[in-house]
Amino acid sequence: MKTEPALMSLTSVARAIADKQVSSREVTQSCLDRIARWQPHLNAFMAIEAEDALKAADAADAALAKGARRGVLHGVPLAHKDMYYEAGKVVTCGSRIRRDFVATTTSTALQRLKDAGTIRLGSLQMAEFAYGPTGHNVHYGPVHNPFALDRITGGSSSGSGSAVAARLTFAALGSDTGGSVRMPAHFCGVTGLKTTMGRISRAGAMPLSQSLDTVGPLARTAEDCAVLLRLMAGADPADSTAISGPIPDYAAATTESIRGLAIGVPNAFYVDDLDEEVASALDATIAVLRREGANVVKVELPDQRQLSAASQLVLAVEAAAFHKRWMIERAQDYGPQVLMRLQNGLAIPGVSYLEALRWRGQALAAHVAAVANVDAVIAPVSPAPAPTIAESDVGNSPDAEAVIQRLTRLTRPINYLGLPALSIPCGFTRGGLPVGMQLIGRSFDEATLLRVGAAFQRATDFHERLPKLP
Amino acid sequence: MTRPTAKEIKAMADVAGVPVDNDVAARIANSVGPAFDAFAAIAGTLPFDLEPSTFVVVQTEKAAR
Repeated sequence: MKTEPALMSLTSVARAIADKQVSSREVTQSCLDRIARWQPHLNAFMAIEAEDALKAADAADAALAKGARRGVLHGVPLAHKDMYYEAGKVVTCGSRIRRDFVATTTSTALQRLKDAGTIRLGSLQMAEFAYGPTGHNVHYGPVHNPFALDRITGGSSSGSGSAVAARLTFAALGSDTGGSVRMPAHFCGVTGLKTTMGRISRAGAMPLSQSLDTVGPLARTAEDCAVLLRLMAGADPADSTAISGPIPDYAAATTESIRGLAIGVPNAFYVDDLDEEVASALDATIAVLRREGANVVKVELPDQRQLSAASQLVLAVEAAAFHKRWMIERAQDYGPQVLMRLQNGLAIPGVSYLEALRWRGQALAAHVAAVANVDAVIAPVSPAPAPTIAESDVGNSPDAEAVIQRLTRLTRPINYLGLPALSIPCGFTRGGLPVGMQLIGRSFDEATLLRVGAAFQRATDFHERLPKLP
Repeated sequence: MTRPTAKEIKAMADVAGVPVDNDVAARIANSVGPAFDAFAAIAGTLPFDLEPSTFVVVQTEKAAR
């Protein structure tokens, strides 16, 4: 095979392994070679398990030679955000507190990917306890953006965004509580799917906010996300919030035309105060969708600032509640910014927290009514491309919370509504920084988002651009 | 609904069993204030029978096409 295997998409490499055009060992070694070259520049991996990965690859090749294909991703090496429990493995959650924590169970999402035949390359860096949108981590160092090493990756799934963009792994699990899949996807130029609340089990995934946490993949294409979602979705006895019911054939949806679909463009909030190059990318994306046959119309959404505020109230309280014991016993082991944000939850009265949860159904109903005539809404992920690591290193300074809220203002409302959203690469700035857009859908209608994303990616090549080593 | 003052936050943190000093209380007040302001129009206006579980009902019955 002439192509460097690590540069293939998830679906392409899985087919190539199944057809014995390339071995799992060759694919795994290709990823490990890239990791060896890129890791010193990116700091994307928390742990690299080269020897075990090659052993697993050899076992996968031997099984395939005997006709035993474990699943659709047989022999495909992956790495995931270091918050998905795998029995017997250290899972740091990006923290000092869990530096030596060894999981005794395996998360449902991870187990389902393993059951499909994936093998483990190691684990990926993340913001401490998934509570940070930039990619900084005071314990393990910042993760760097492959397209500009002095720039942030976004977070909290910082290693996932960086590693997928640099082609160190074919895909990676992230988690999205306030934008943590979509932000790294936007800043690093990859495809990221924030799933509907309830679509994928969260059992065995580190919690941050039980009302807002969602599991989702970052990958190179919408088609790859579709394959991963199909494998992970569905009910789970270990998580009562994971819904039952039929799971669509998401991959089939990605082959469909978008002719006749209606795409809504918000007339405010999401289009206010945008960086000029993000605004241009939005216009260009809309033009492509029109050329592909979509009807693009304006939509007037309810007040998104209220949704964002409700999201903040819920997140602050739930995060503080999860962390209360450690806030008392091990406050000195938190990074200053994470401790600062956890302390915010102490200031929210119980009545305010419950009001924010009680309003959620009404707010979703109002949103549903506002988008009744469209199949999806398109909006920027963040108002600007990636800032530098230095300028966004605000720690626990007095204006830190304001900086964080500005960065995530376009993603938080979607978590409050529990809706799915797909971030797709849709351009590059003159300085070479990726720009992404989020497609926001109806509850449990990831299929339409993946369909639109795939159609866009057939018409453009932004998702295929490779970062270069310095 | 009004944003809590630093003094009130200090008392709340004490009650929660996670005491904070005056500087931290002031910083928290500054951080959470905007969320209280933006949610003020909703707070105190919700109908009596509205439960948090209505979210799941709307999500599964109305939101999905």
